Amino acid sequence: MSNVIVVLFGNNGWDRSAEGAAGTGQRLAQSTGGNLNVVFLGDASKEARDGAAACAASVVVVNQPELAEYQPEAALEAAQKACAEISDTSVVLFGNDTYSQELVPRLAHRLGGCSLADVQGVTADGGQVLATRSAYGGKAMSTYSMKKTPVVLWVRARAMDPATPGAGGSLEEKAYELATPRLTITSRDVLESEGPSLEDASIIVSGGRGLGGPEAFENELKGLATAMHAVQGASRAACDAGWVPPNWQVGQTGKKVAPELYLAIAISGASQHLLGMGDSKMIAAINTDPDAPIFKHCSFGIVEDYKNVVAPLTEKLNSMG
Amino acid sequence: MKILVCIKQILDPDMPARDFKVNAETKEAERGGANLVTNIFCENALETALQIKEKTSGKVTALSYGTDDTEDSLRKALAMTVDEAALILREGDSNPDAEAVAKVLAAAITKLGEFDLILMGRESGDWGVGQTGGLLAEELGLPSLAFVDSIEANDGTLTMRRQTDSGTETATVTGPALALITNNEFNVPRIPKTRDVMMSYRKPLEKFSLADIGLSAEDVSGSSFYEVTDLSIPTKDVQCEFVEGDSIDEKIGVLASKIQPVVAANS
Amino acid sequence: MSSIPAGVPTREIYWNVPFHDLLYVFLVPTLAIAAWGVYRRVRLWRAGQPILRFDRLGERLDLFVKDVLAQGRVVRSSYAAFFHTGLVIGFLVLFAATTVVAIQADLKIPIMQGPFYLFFQSLTVDLFGLYVLVGCAMAGYRRWKTKPAKLVYTDEATRLVLLIGVISLTGFLCEGWRIAVTDDPWGGWSPVGFVFAAASDSMMSDSLMKTLHTGTWWFHMALSFGFVAWAPYTKMLHVLTSPLNIFTANLDGYGASLKPLDFEKAERLGVNALTDFTWKDLLDLDACTECGRCTAVCPANTVGKTLSPRDIILDLRELMHNNAPALLTTLGANGAGTKGADSSAPAGAIDAAATLPPVIREGTPLDPEALFSCTTCAACMEACPVHIEQLPKIIDARRYLVMEEAEFPEGMMNAITSLESRQHPFPGTQFNRTDWAEGLGLDVLGDMEDPTEAEVVFWVGCGGALVERNRSTVRATAKLLKRAGVKFAILGREESCTGDPARRIGNEFLYEMLAKGNVETLNKYGTKQIVTSCPHCFNSFKNEYPQFGGDYQVHHHSQYLQELVEDGRLLNGKDDVEKKLDRKVVYHDPCYLGRHNGEYKAPRALLDGALNTKREEVARSGRDSFCCGGGGGMMYIDEKPDQRVNQERASQLLESGADTVAVGCPFCATMLEDGVNARKGDREVSVMDIAELLLEAAGDDEASAPVAE
Ligand SMILES: Cc1cc2nc3c(=O)[nH]c(=O)nc-3n(C[C@H](O)[C@H](O)[C@H](O)COP(=O)(O)OP(=O)(O)OC[C@H]3O[C@@H](n4cnc5c(N)ncnc54)[C@H](O)[C@@H]3O)c2cc1C
Ligand code: SF4
Ligand code: SF4
Repeated sequence: MSNVIVVLFGNNGWDRSAEGAAGTGQRLAQSTGGNLNVVFLGDASKEARDGAAACAASVVVVNQPELAEYQPEAALEAAQKACAEISDTSVVLFGNDTYSQELVPRLAHRLGGCSLADVQGVTADGGQVLATRSAYGGKAMSTYSMKKTPVVLWVRARAMDPATPGAGGSLEEKAYELATPRLTITSRDVLESEGPSLEDASIIVSGGRGLGGPEAFENELKGLATAMHAVQGASRAACDAGWVPPNWQVGQTGKKVAPELYLAIAISGASQHLLGMGDSKMIAAINTDPDAPIFKHCSFGIVEDYKNVVAPLTEKLNSMG
Repeated sequence: MKILVCIKQILDPDMPARDFKVNAETKEAERGGANLVTNIFCENALETALQIKEKTSGKVTALSYGTDDTEDSLRKALAMTVDEAALILREGDSNPDAEAVAKVLAAAITKLGEFDLILMGRESGDWGVGQTGGLLAEELGLPSLAFVDSIEANDGTLTMRRQTDSGTETATVTGPALALITNNEFNVPRIPKTRDVMMSYRKPLEKFSLADIGLSAEDVSGSSFYEVTDLSIPTKDVQCEFVEGDSIDEKIGVLASKIQPVVAANS
Repeated sequence: MSSIPAGVPTREIYWNVPFHDLLYVFLVPTLAIAAWGVYRRVRLWRAGQPILRFDRLGERLDLFVKDVLAQGRVVRSSYAAFFHTGLVIGFLVLFAATTVVAIQADLKIPIMQGPFYLFFQSLTVDLFGLYVLVGCAMAGYRRWKTKPAKLVYTDEATRLVLLIGVISLTGFLCEGWRIAVTDDPWGGWSPVGFVFAAASDSMMSDSLMKTLHTGTWWFHMALSFGFVAWAPYTKMLHVLTSPLNIFTANLDGYGASLKPLDFEKAERLGVNALTDFTWKDLLDLDACTECGRCTAVCPANTVGKTLSPRDIILDLRELMHNNAPALLTTLGANGAGTKGADSSAPAGAIDAAATLPPVIREGTPLDPEALFSCTTCAACMEACPVHIEQLPKIIDARRYLVMEEAEFPEGMMNAITSLESRQHPFPGTQFNRTDWAEGLGLDVLGDMEDPTEAEVVFWVGCGGALVERNRSTVRATAKLLKRAGVKFAILGREESCTGDPARRIGNEFLYEMLAKGNVETLNKYGTKQIVTSCPHCFNSFKNEYPQFGGDYQVHHHSQYLQELVEDGRLLNGKDDVEKKLDRKVVYHDPCYLGRHNGEYKAPRALLDGALNTKREEVARSGRDSFCCGGGGGMMYIDEKPDQRVNQERASQLLESGADTVAVGCPFCATMLEDGVNARKGDREVSVMDIAELLLEAAGDDEASAPVAE
């Protein structure tokens, strides 16, 4: 019997990422014949506690002031201690937020295990944990056989199926003695974005270098996004140029998104960009270059200068209601 | 302020997708006609280090675990005005796991002296596993922060800004510490001046064997953490329907009619 | 005058001019002042770096005759040609006449008589004097009435035109009065003077004329002497500097105008102080006549960019004159053609060089933005009547910015970075170097058992292999070579950029590395002949690689294909002849094939002969062609939408009414296709490479094409 732990941040609530991670944890636990345990770092809302308790054998909420807001060292130590208290753990799962990504390798090292990032699929057959993920900037798929226990992973949780409600388990609050951290996060700036986050959006309108400057994002594309009830994203080229904030970036090293419709405007479709949005249900593109790689992934597209398309398209959509 | 930057040389991530081939035997990409380049985030890290040095004075060392080819990447770092470079020559597995690399780097760093700040790229553009930095921090027992895009140094106190899902965070730490660097508009790697390229050949670039840093090939065999068991190129076949029409108006009309139902279904 | 027999035509020298010997007294200070004026310039040029420009005297004399005496380049502008040639020849004739007077008066050799006196000293001199007068009037008319933008308008120029006019006018007055008073029987041989004489005779008395004559004569002399003394301090200095500049011009064509750099020794890479230039560069500055032709033809300037080759020259000239003292103190270091770095220069001299202001300054004609908008098309150099080398100076400054400061436009940086790590300037290309040749079964040198079996290497070039638009061009070229039975091979993955973009952007270091690498590869296979469809590669092989030990016979594909057609190896079957092209073609000369290397004929011969097209010419073609906008690294940067050279060029070509723009360069093809698409409206116009057209005519039937054995 080997157990699975899903580590979540209380502040994030029971979001899509938590659901997907818990679902993956549940399926893994089933295949290894172990239990699913959920650990919340920091106080969790009722909804989150209930969501976790519905599918996990045990829920631990590490609730203490040091964890009220994320601090890397406190979170790491708390996670380490909480995981250590659960015996016979084969897999520890995290979602794909900033903090999870940061903690995974360090926690693995502390638990004597091994780790991997950006996992798209994980199985545990016969005690052997196999993880699949993209490599080479999306050009290849790779499978890893994990060699140490526990296996600590962060997974593309948003793209994974939620858990099925089960018997319901225990819920416990805990607090640990934590060392004084040397590094402290002293301020947080949330970049205002109205509406859902990129990851949660069902429609995304993304812009790239071909837009030529920040104005197109601010004017044409914003209007179109409003008309489409969409969230705006961008390629790295556009973010690097400073036209839009870095957290708009979609791709290998930006957001991984999987909306119903992804509209790429003046984006060439480099493999690193595709890596972040290739799972979208439907991809469409506006590009002047008929040979742009993006079209190889599109359901439909138009070969035109965006300047001739975006404004009339917005108008047309608005008039269609 | 003494800064050490770990850099990795990788297969050119910009190689055309159609040139990309994998070797099923070795579970690695074929080099083919592609080039080896410095991982972009490592270059962002070098740029960040150099900017700190330029503001505060001090010294920047570049370190890499690689082959003789990797000398090119280190030379380029020297040309960017890094002060000295060290290359640990790889033995055994050509794709060592993240833990093996972290152990080698930790041993090398201990050998090279003490540093106030260690920088790495957030992940590499080839495998993109992104574990080495965290593991190295553990090996060295240092506080670390990921996704850092700018650092200011003030009398031993480091102020780091990092990118998060929802915005940015600022953290302070008194060195030594480790930061994993991500790109932003301010750390675009500089183009070396030709004068500096020429000078780079006169700057120290030391090569070490594993034995030199107190390790043996068995210590870092490279597959005790994980092992790649399969590597393949996914095939995906979508046929793009290009919107047709006699006039641009007509085309846009067709486009709108394709988009509208999705919008209606999701609002 | 008793020594001359009566009846022999001549005249009395210094008639009616008492104390004329005083002239000699005045002559000494006049010449001294003039000489100083010249010397103080010559001194400044000597502050430049050494360069060999007094070699190959025969060729230099030829050039001198062509472009100084025959005014070969001046005459390209017909208005200026008329008056400037008048002024030049007029001056030469008058100078000869003065010499004749001196020989007669001072050496007492009686040559000023007989038919020579009549035909030359009287008639010719008179007519050319008139020509000078008319020339002044025309120059004045242009300056005050038509006012073309290319000119620089200064008071000095105005005074000079007036002065020359008054001098010749007073000369005629004196002559007229002399003829009238002496009743010169040969007066009719001096028609202009004769007209003045006739007019005066009817209006005034002999004594009045005599008085006026004496006064005017001295006035004429005073003005003339004044002119001689003053001229070297004005733009009139070009009377001396222009011929000197033409004599010491670069003899090797624009394609060979960039200097190699000695990286071991150079104290500074590129130029940012006047003393980094060569003495010839500095002489250029003083040779400029301010005519403005260079700026008028500059494509960047034409589309509204700030780049102006004339203003670069004039700005540097002003900088040189304003910093004369500092320049002179550097003389110890660089003077007399010795290299500063290793000579035993006094320390003070080097310090003085350091006090010189930078030549690259924002807001001046040498603003980095202007410098980085040059397409290196060499139109400026071709237009310059006195062979000034604007382009190498621009590249020198770029070298400094790129190599010493690493400050240059982002797009160029990306190209350079890509060249460094991938040996091609197209980051993000989706192709490799052999994709285009898929299915053609071409030989690749590295895979051949005996690479010397390939008589010719087909050098594909990055712009051909890696840019979507041009893959069909290189494919067409390869197919045609095959069809003609040429034994050729490609380098495939072993090919790398020739370094042309690096060199023109200003990264000489990277260029050298690429060049050396290519020479090594080519020599490894014993390469003797190269065919390439890229004029930039062509230029590198032809003009630049010999320096690195790469001596090849290189052909542009238009040249090679034309030869194949002439030899009957292509298009000679009956079927082929019938398939001539029904296209109305306008040919765009690529700068690096045309102006840089003088090949205007071969592509036209193909179009007119083998392809039998209806062909149009536009005004800006051949030697005067207008750049496509892609050279000099401009291909890699985004021009402002309203300042696109390619669109301007496209408009010019579209005006010809052609339905096909024929090109011979991958850069031109991409730039012009974009430009034509932007400007063609609803016309059907295509941009086609010569090879594509030829293949179209020959029939592109891959299957039935005989494969060469
Ligand atoms: C390690 C690594 C990680 C990376 N991570 C990411 C990542 O997370 N996200 C990401 O996006 N990239 C990432 N990249 C960068 C990626 O390789 C590409 O460079 C980038 O995605 C290109 O952005 P782009 O498509 O906007 O620009 P380009 O590739 O320059 O494409 C611009 C497109 O606009 C079109 N266009 C131009 N003008 C117009 C017009 N007027 N109208 C319509 N179309 C027009 C052009 O035809 C072209 O297709 C990464 C690279 C590396 C090496
Ligand atoms: S080379 Fe061409 S673009 Fe450059 S200055 Fe001369 S005319 Fe202008
Ligand atoms: S550089 Fe030559 S073309 Fe230009 S203004 Fe001077 S003389 Fe005329």
